[in-house]
Amino acid sequence: MTFLAPAAAALAITLPAIIALYFLRIRRPTRVVPALHLWPDQIRDRQANVPWQRLRASWLLLLQLAVAAFLVAAAVQPAVPASASLAAHSIVLLDASASMQAKDVPPSRFDEAKRRAGALIDQLGPLDRMTLIAVGSTPRIVASTTGDHDAMHRALNGIAVTNGPADLSAALLLAAGIVRSQESARAYLFSDGIVEPLRASFANGLPFPVEYDRIGVSGENVALTSLVVRTSAQSRAAYLRVDNFGQQSRTVTVEWRSDAGLIDVRPVTLNGGQAQDVVLPVPDAATTVTARIDGGDNFALDDSVTAIARTARPFHVLLVTQGNVFLEQALRLRGDFQLDVVAPSAYHGSTAYAMTVFDRFPPPALPEAPFVMVDPPAGSALAGGAAVGVGRVRASDAGDPLLTNVSLQDVHVARSQDMTRSTFGRALITSLQTPLVLVRDEPFRQVLVGFDVHESDFPLRIGFPILVQNLSEWMLPPSVPSRSFHPDEAVTVVPETGATSVTVVRPDGSRRALAAGSIATFNDTDQVGVYTVEQTVAGTTDRSWFAVNLFSDAASQLTPVDHLTLPPEEATGPVAASHHGFLQIWPWIALLGLVLVVAEWLAFHRGL
Amino acid sequence: MAASALLEPQLLRRLEGLAILVRRSVKGQMGGERRSLSRGRSPEFADFRSYSPGDDYRLIDWNAYARLDRYMLRLFVAEEELPLSLFVDLSGSMDWGRPNKAVTARRLAAAIAYVALASLDRVRLTVFADGPTSGGAPYRGRHAAQELLARIESFPAGGPTDYAKLVWPIGRQRPGMTVLITDGLGESRIEPAITSLKLARQEGAVLQLLAPQEVTPDWAGDARLKDAETGVEREFTATPATQAAYRAALARRTDEIEHAAIRRGLRFARLTTDQPIDDMVQRTLRRIGLLG
Repeated sequence: MTFLAPAAAALAITLPAIIALYFLRIRRPTRVVPALHLWPDQIRDRQANVPWQRLRASWLLLLQLAVAAFLVAAAVQPAVPASASLAAHSIVLLDASASMQAKDVPPSRFDEAKRRAGALIDQLGPLDRMTLIAVGSTPRIVASTTGDHDAMHRALNGIAVTNGPADLSAALLLAAGIVRSQESARAYLFSDGIVEPLRASFANGLPFPVEYDRIGVSGENVALTSLVVRTSAQSRAAYLRVDNFGQQSRTVTVEWRSDAGLIDVRPVTLNGGQAQDVVLPVPDAATTVTARIDGGDNFALDDSVTAIARTARPFHVLLVTQGNVFLEQALRLRGDFQLDVVAPSAYHGSTAYAMTVFDRFPPPALPEAPFVMVDPPAGSALAGGAAVGVGRVRASDAGDPLLTNVSLQDVHVARSQDMTRSTFGRALITSLQTPLVLVRDEPFRQVLVGFDVHESDFPLRIGFPILVQNLSEWMLPPSVPSRSFHPDEAVTVVPETGATSVTVVRPDGSRRALAAGSIATFNDTDQVGVYTVEQTVAGTTDRSWFAVNLFSDAASQLTPVDHLTLPPEEATGPVAASHHGFLQIWPWIALLGLVLVVAEWLAFHRGL
Repeated sequence: MAASALLEPQLLRRLEGLAILVRRSVKGQMGGERRSLSRGRSPEFADFRSYSPGDDYRLIDWNAYARLDRYMLRLFVAEEELPLSLFVDLSGSMDWGRPNKAVTARRLAAAIAYVALASLDRVRLTVFADGPTSGGAPYRGRHAAQELLARIESFPAGGPTDYAKLVWPIGRQRPGMTVLITDGLGESRIEPAITSLKLARQEGAVLQLLAPQEVTPDWAGDARLKDAETGVEREFTATPATQAAYRAALARRTDEIEHAAIRRGLRFARLTTDQPIDDMVQRTLRRIGLLG
């Protein structure tokens, strides 16, 4: 047995003090009574005062001594060795990812993990320190290097499970950052092992060993892992995928609803490990559609999914050209584009269009809106220098997202205007002779192409429509993407032109205001369900939606990992001097002391 | 009327309308207002008896002589005084309480004595503690009230109670009324004194006088108790339990006194010092038949 607060043993002075009080006689006030023989020969206790008197047996004395002894025993905080092996600095990594919501361990894996972490806190010695890290999509330190049991328990109780993944790599990096050099540390990972794959940055190991405490016993789970609404010329339909990640055959009932009400209910039978796609109708008026399977499995988070059924609002795009089938076809690939093609002579302005493409035509005034200028005629505002022959075509920055999936290999351009001196913007595609494609963000996202696409084989390459798609999406991003996002995934919201306020209503009804004047990134997507974006434009409220669903095979595959591959301990690191933890028994002793206090109180009032 | 610090004039006036009640005739030494066991001079005829030499020939009933041809004496009920003996406990235990028991006992004794004096009864005063102390020659007549009341006031209170020493002075009383005013709380037992009252053919009354604070103690906690009579001290802690034990012992003691008095045909009343004297006299003492 170890005493965590041995200094408190000084309180044992109270025991002889109590006895001394009984040895001594209390200085009692003298009261004259008419008949002393009628008063019982009873005094309450033998309290101290001078002069000394003979110690007499008293139940109160015994009870008070027992109370003092128990309270002193509790104050020194006796503890017995526990099973856990602790270092001077213990780092608790608590998995707070979505899969920890599984209830195969009652009440849930997360609660069980907190219980085990709490037990570890209770075993901390007087000199031990602990750091508590919640491992979610963004790991965070919830209690830093403290030995205060109460503070640790409060911090532990304050951790909530999330719907996102567990970024164990970031958590380990975080832990490694707070361990001081030559400090004896040990990490304890309470997790089901369903974490994001470790990055390769742990080649040198960690400055502490990591003990993995597996939580969870079962991987039985039926999940909805995908829901997509596709619109064709004839109809709209939803494609739902149901996966049985367990080993046993299961029959579930899929409940199919739109925001208008129930649409369909159908049973789906799946063998162990089997998946099935279900095609479901989508009403024309539906804004959202939701699929739900009846509960009863251990993981409810993937039992309900939602998709946005409303089609995106179309953009009006104007192509001013004497004829350019390559550009026209590439632009028509965008399903949300309503393309108008006019001859230069018919051009009277483009204020009604979200984007204009000028093909070898200089407008009288450049629109203050997104546009693409292709091969501006000489003398026009954006025209370059004299035509130059172009050699090898290449990207100015191969990692530019505007060139994603765009291959410039085998692309040839016969000649181009000399854009070397152009101040239009940065070069996206260039050559040794001159920049070929320039882009700029201000005042609007605009593109300048220095060559006629007919004098290039680029339109014949697969990269051309992809480039047009990338550029048009960059210039006209959807205000609110209507696709499904994962929990904790950032969503980019582009306010409508003239929007005075932008507010996101989360599934629980809470509201978040976004800046109305610029593109905003919305990060509070920890809840699954439908998010509504409300924009106020000219006094009217315009609503659009996006959905957040788990859609994670890794999380729905609930089977806990028996052996988690963890980074090794650094070979040159300090030897983790470990000791056994302590199981504190003082609360029970203190409880007994309080019981004795009650007994002493009763004895006093009964005149013992 | 004899005004005194003990009794207010208004109370004295009310007391004059009362009288000591006795259940049987008494025999006093002097004429009074009460039927006597002796035949004497009074308007009330009692009996005849044969004349004996030496009898007062003035009492011969000549009408009877005419009818019976022998001398018959007419006997009349003698109206004699009532011998009232007051035994007042002025021991140390009586000098206690708020209001003080000894003060109240003096006032109560004075009130009873005044009632008797106003009725031309003869009053003998005895105070006692560890022994009896005579209050002087018997008092008789209303004019003696002032002296009697002054005498009652003059006795200090203190000392232990020894009821056994009352046996002799009580036993030598002529038959009459004896009133014993005491708290009955001394260590010695009161039964011998009560028994002696019965044996002396006294129409006795035992008035037990207690202070409210000893009926219901008004303190708690630790204390060093000191006996008011003996000076003996003892440590004590007043808790609900010990206070209940005290009250039980007090109740036993007072019940014993009451039962002893009732069993011997005596009147008994338990009084507390917070009662006004007028209330004691007019209600309690009339209720038990001591005054009327």
